[in-house]
Amino acid sequence: MSKDGSAFVFPALLQEVVKWARKSSLWPMPFGTSCCGIEMMSTLSSTYDLSRFGAEVVRFSPRQADMLIVAGTITTKMGPVLRTIYDQMLEPKWVIAMGACSSSGGIFDTYSVLQGIDEIMPVDVYVPGCPPIPEGLIHSIIHLQKIIDGDMQRRPAEKPTHEDAMNAMNYRKNVDISEIQSSYVVTKDGVAPNAFTKRS
Amino acid sequence: MGNSFVKDAEFLKRQQDANTRLQEKYLVLPLGEGRKLELDKLDEPIFWAKSADDAVMLVKSFKVDPNFKIDFLSDITAYDNTDKKDGPKRFVLVYQLYSTTTQVRIRIKTLIDLNEEANTLVGEWDGANWLEREIFDLYGIKFKGHPNLRRIMMDERFTGHPLRKEYPMKQREPFSDNVRLHLGAHSLPGQK
Repeated sequence: MSKDGSAFVFPALLQEVVKWARKSSLWPMPFGTSCCGIEMMSTLSSTYDLSRFGAEVVRFSPRQADMLIVAGTITTKMGPVLRTIYDQMLEPKWVIAMGACSSSGGIFDTYSVLQGIDEIMPVDVYVPGCPPIPEGLIHSIIHLQKIIDGDMQRRPAEKPTHEDAMNAMNYRKNVDISEIQSSYVVTKDGVAPNAFTKRS
Repeated sequence: MGNSFVKDAEFLKRQQDANTRLQEKYLVLPLGEGRKLELDKLDEPIFWAKSADDAVMLVKSFKVDPNFKIDFLSDITAYDNTDKKDGPKRFVLVYQLYSTTTQVRIRIKTLIDLNEEANTLVGEWDGANWLEREIFDLYGIKFKGHPNLRRIMMDERFTGHPLRKEYPMKQREPFSDNVRLHLGAHSLPGQK
């Protein structure tokens, strides 16, 4: 900026600067409700040192945070609270679902637990693990930085059907493949499209 | 067992004394009619009261009995007796008492039906407040005279009592401010 107000910076370049600033100062809002929260604390502290990625300034006010890390089991009673925190955060904002519980409900397939926080808010990165190792959370933040940079397009999530999920869980090698209803089957070599399913 | 407390001979004698005392004072007729004393695998007493009112009365009298020196209410809990294994009524209410001086535990059980109400223990132990609310929340057993009998674990708008055996385990209740959003239905930051 010069004194008369005319700009020296090209808009295209400014866009890059904004992206760079956003991705290198991802201030997290921690929402640790169980053991994943302990791993998150470990990631934030000196051994793993999340400040190397610009994400160390933990803000306990959602107004000052850019990134919501949901680490732990979210019950249906806690769901509205979490949604309020998400609504209070200012744009641009990103969400990381850390661990099996916040991604899918985990082992708690019961009357009181939300089956994944994507039921109530959009999620940018899912971190698998129960709990994930600190490197997993660091990897998810690097991944998020790539998303912010625009290098990586976010794919719209496709929720698996019940049959897909059952098939993925029980590794039924003894069942005749023609009996399996889902469009994908788990074989010894990995996941493969089911040749017996008729696709329209 | 998992207890850090070592059961030495002195303790076993104290426990034996407590069992004898239970036999001699609380099981004699006519007051002891319908009551029953069982010993579990650790030789700790399970005292079956004849009704819920009787159970609360027993808790109060054990508390003032100088032989037991009961000074701590460990827990109040319940279980669903749908298979009628322990008696003809629907639930079993369990009071766990403990003495911090003699380390002796006494467990009081009683059968209680769906339409019955138990007396509250809040006047005796303040800790009973939340324990009774928990039982009310998860089993639907009501407590007469409780100052604040509301749900404690589930949302206040929740219907049903989830630890009853007929409650479907996976039946969840989303609430109105629990907005259902799906990925892909909303444009996300950075998405073109």
